[in-house]
Amino acid sequence: MEGEPSRGPIMTRICWRSVDILSRMLSSGEREAVRGDLAESGATGRQALLDVLSLVIRRQAALWAHWRPWLTRVGLVVPLGMLVSVVSRRVAGLSAVYMWMYANNWDWNLLGYRGFWYQFAQSFEEIFLVYLTLVCWSWTSGFVLGSASRGIIRLNSVLFCVILSFGGLLGAPLYLAFLDRYLHRTLGLPSLPDSNAPVFELTFYRLIFPLIVQAILVVVPALWGLRQGAGVVRVRPLFRALLCAVAVATLAAMLIQIPELGLFLKTYRRPWIRQWEARLQFVVYWPVLYLVATSIGRRWRLGVGSI
Amino acid sequence: MLGEFEYLIISAASRLGEDAYGAAIRKEIEDATGDRCSIGALYTTLDRLEAKGFIKTRMGDPTPQRGGRAKRMVRVTANGVHAASDFYAAITRVSRGVSWKANRVAVQ
Repeated sequence: MEGEPSRGPIMTRICWRSVDILSRMLSSGEREAVRGDLAESGATGRQALLDVLSLVIRRQAALWAHWRPWLTRVGLVVPLGMLVSVVSRRVAGLSAVYMWMYANNWDWNLLGYRGFWYQFAQSFEEIFLVYLTLVCWSWTSGFVLGSASRGIIRLNSVLFCVILSFGGLLGAPLYLAFLDRYLHRTLGLPSLPDSNAPVFELTFYRLIFPLIVQAILVVVPALWGLRQGAGVVRVRPLFRALLCAVAVATLAAMLIQIPELGLFLKTYRRPWIRQWEARLQFVVYWPVLYLVATSIGRRWRLGVGSI
Repeated sequence: MLGEFEYLIISAASRLGEDAYGAAIRKEIEDATGDRCSIGALYTTLDRLEAKGFIKTRMGDPTPQRGGRAKRMVRVTANGVHAASDFYAAITRVSRGVSWKANRVAVQ
């Protein structure tokens, strides 16, 4: 770093390294001015660290003092995080059964049966579409959150990950267990033995597999969507409105398709909701189209630029 | 009505004129008060003053003594001058007839 000691006692180096890391939390203009002021005043590593820390704390505290970030957190981060966690848990449960069926009961002789291949292709198609839908919902949730988190993108990313972790580890399992009991009590369903019990008796499918699904198919796409959503302010207003409409339609499809919410909305009594569900299913895959289109657009602009 | 620290910043920036920027204002305040002025307090107050329309800031050119980094230049607006002048007048009025030396003796 120019103007700052790059060699010296270990504490000094640690302080300046911390200043480097902390100052990344400031806006680029402010970072430039503050680092310049520190260099000009000949501040020691400890003084520089205290100064930058005091500014970062003030800036972060200011983010909690306005109503808009709170609205984003309460209105988007928490409900989206919990909803996606519940969906992820359901998807993990479904795919765990298929995985157990093939991985834990494997028999090489099955490869000789045409029926096996037919069944395998069907299972693969079903799981692929369910996974793709989950990835698209997670990406869209991140995208909506990113577009609403101007200036607090990093903080909201961390909070979203916290909510997803809470939802994956505790919220979703507790909610689904409660729902199961509630449905049995209110609908008077008989207590039949769970046909999938052998799958979930195994610790891997009960505890570890849902977390792997949540990490790969929810957290990664959601953070990717957050970054993409943060850049949406730069696009034209009409295109931005179109993206928002598509994202809202995707989240609506997620709400309709969650069985317990469908029960709450009484979708079984409203056939038009079912019709919309079928139409919205095509909209759900919009992130794929969007990412392909933006990638082609970027390559095209680079190609034009290099001519 | 300005706050005490806001008044110090506007006064320091007015005195520095075209050379008013973060580090220079900080030094002016530290020299005048004898207390340390934190960068956190300075930059958040600069933002507040700018939001109130009392100052305008812009990024200046990078200089070698700053490690090639730009300065945040500060210019006091007419509203800022007016607010600082009102603050000073209020302090002068409220201090009229008060002898701090006598009071200090009385407290002792």
